[in-house]
Amino acid sequence: MDDLRLEHLDRDGALAEAIAALHGHTRTDLLRGAVAGSAALLAVCAAPARAAARDRDVAILNFALTLEELQAAFYTEVERNKVLRGDLREQATVVGGHERAHVRAFREVLGSRAAKRPRFDFGGATEGSGAFRRTAVAFEDLAVAAYKGQAPRIRSREYLASALAIHSVEARHAAWIRRLAGKSPVTGPFDDALTRRETSRIVARTQFISTTSTTRRSPRFTG
Amino acid sequence: MGEPRLTRAALLRGGAVVAAGATAGVALAPAGRAAEPSPARDRAILRFALFLEDLQAAFYADALARATLSGELLEYAQVVGGHERSHAAHVRRVLGSAAPSPPRFDFRDAASDPTRFLETAITLEDLGVSAYNGAAASLTADALADAARIVSVEARHAAWVRDLAGKSPAPDASDPSVSAVEAKAVIDRLDFVV
Repeated sequence: MDDLRLEHLDRDGALAEAIAALHGHTRTDLLRGAVAGSAALLAVCAAPARAAARDRDVAILNFALTLEELQAAFYTEVERNKVLRGDLREQATVVGGHERAHVRAFREVLGSRAAKRPRFDFGGATEGSGAFRRTAVAFEDLAVAAYKGQAPRIRSREYLASALAIHSVEARHAAWIRRLAGKSPVTGPFDDALTRRETSRIVARTQFISTTSTTRRSPRFTG
Repeated sequence: MGEPRLTRAALLRGGAVVAAGATAGVALAPAGRAAEPSPARDRAILRFALFLEDLQAAFYADALARATLSGELLEYAQVVGGHERSHAAHVRRVLGSAAPSPPRFDFRDAASDPTRFLETAITLEDLGVSAYNGAAASLTADALADAARIVSVEARHAAWVRDLAGKSPAPDASDPSVSAVEAKAVIDRLDFVV
């Protein structure tokens, strides 16, 4: 699946524009470009292929948890920066509250099996309303596609029902922020799914998950 | 403003956080325990999904025929009406010979002015999301993957029309779910089926 291109998800180019603005690339560079791995998210996603169903559910919930942590941290930071006004501020406050509630719920269910919270660096994405809007559109559309990809793989009916109840809320968030960004709230009669690997690659490309993980070991010197 | 609550208990019982007033004052009870998936159950669920899609498609067609909508509300009805027709056509194709023909509907005054149109559209879209969410956990994996491509679009419709009506597009951290029986009761109360 190494041929995934950003445009498969990013129909409006919102994510590409957002990242380009943050990192000084052109959109074309990003669409063509190689993926810089994000160790934290990829580690969460590296579930063994032969894992038992229950372990697979835990891996899926941890994947969802990390996506929710990413979104929650993004909205929390933009609120703290106090750069939004009016409807946009209302959206960030309400949606941030939802994402934090999702994080708490997953953490509670996962207990000691919950993945460690990664460190985030949103660059300039939380420092202005334009960058915030573009990034929020991309995040919400991504979350909808990611939940949609995972739902049919969840074995536990209870976890599945919960994931679906969150999936449609992410779609509401997506429609809301798209309208505030001057885009159509809908992208077509059917929303597409993304696999976990596809989602991880897109997140990795944002470089929002800090690669200076606390678990990284110091180089060993043999001399 | 307090943080939305989504407790472990709520998560485990299917995110069944009841959104008061989400469907025009109808309190939606949590869906019952999910039934064991099977192809026969898939067909039963899809037949109900088709009924909902036919209902929605007919409602928007009625609203557009009355020509009382303008601006973004008109755009909403045109775009969303097209989606509902696509959904109905898709589900009908999947069901094949097991698909019922569309019922006849009479929406009376429900789309006769923009205010009533908004109220009914919100009820139907929120109900669509809740009904898909309630049924989806009883679908086989393939049917679920297919239905999931529709439910998030229904949720986008719901958010859009709620925003147009000045209501919160996302009233809760977790969407409620209803069983087919509960959804049917809401529709019976609306009395649109001839």
